[in-house]
Amino acid sequence: MIVLEWLFLTIAPCDAAEPWQLGSQDAATPIMQGVMDLHHDIFFFLILILVFVSRILVRALWHFHYKKNPIPQRIVHGTTIEILRTIFPSIIPMFIAIPSFVLLYSMDEVVVDPAITIKAIGHQWYRTYEYSDYNSSDEESLTFDSYTIPEDDPELGQSRLLEVDNRVVVPAKTNLRIIVTPADVPHSWAVPSSGVKCDAVPGRSNQTSISVQREGVYYGQCSEIRGTNHASIVVEAVPRKDYGSRVSNQLIPQTNQTGEA
Amino acid sequence: MTAVHKIGQASYRGPSIFKEIMYGLTAGLIAGGLWKRYHWNLQRRNKEFYDMLERGEISVVVEDE
Repeated sequence: MIVLEWLFLTIAPCDAAEPWQLGSQDAATPIMQGVMDLHHDIFFFLILILVFVSRILVRALWHFHYKKNPIPQRIVHGTTIEILRTIFPSIIPMFIAIPSFVLLYSMDEVVVDPAITIKAIGHQWYRTYEYSDYNSSDEESLTFDSYTIPEDDPELGQSRLLEVDNRVVVPAKTNLRIIVTPADVPHSWAVPSSGVKCDAVPGRSNQTSISVQREGVYYGQCSEIRGTNHASIVVEAVPRKDYGSRVSNQLIPQTNQTGEA
Repeated sequence: MTAVHKIGQASYRGPSIFKEIMYGLTAGLIAGGLWKRYHWNLQRRNKEFYDMLERGEISVVVEDE
């Protein structure tokens, strides 16, 4: 048991990929929970078909082994079984399609009145985040850059090549709109535990909506390989009551630093 | 010896297709059912986690000392 636990059970210290991970990261949004539920529903059919086909194959090999059945039968048609093996496999995708379309259309629903809109701009090789809902005293929106912390520079406890210097701070349990666009080449803003992967295509702005259900730090990575310093994404969801103070205490100074730089 | 072998061969009628399909489906449904039990258990644990979070019994925020 101890060996099994050592092999298969790991406790994630944060919402990031674990070594030798097989399944998805823990869901932090309803969309990701829906994605995982759909995966589990489809996996049921996968196991059903795998076990069924494997058993039939093994039994066929057993029954028609040349020692047991030295004279092979010459079967060329079987109308009934051909009809059955066409109809039943075509019914299974219908059962899969129902939850799949439900999830797809719910993901596509545009949040009419999000509380916060954040613009994520991809660069080679960092990100710029813009909180357009807030303007500073000189009427400029809150903007800061987010660079991946280099490999030889992390502090104790930080994840290698996943941490950034300035995180995206969002309030938990709040509808957010994320607008993703690049400044140069195509990028992709992806956070697995939030179920988000939104491509940044030059010349257009893509929109995605999320609502993070629990506070925490969520790690993602750019999912469109763009060169050597492929950028990390870190989203920090804070309690709603702390969000205002975080914006004023942390993000505004970051904006000023970026402006000065 | 040869006659016995021929009698044995004559009595073997081969597998019943219907039975094999039914046994296969049953085995598949049992295996799929075990997977669904795991899925439902996971859903229940997730729901309990978020319910406890909502009620304030647990927290994912480390309070500042």
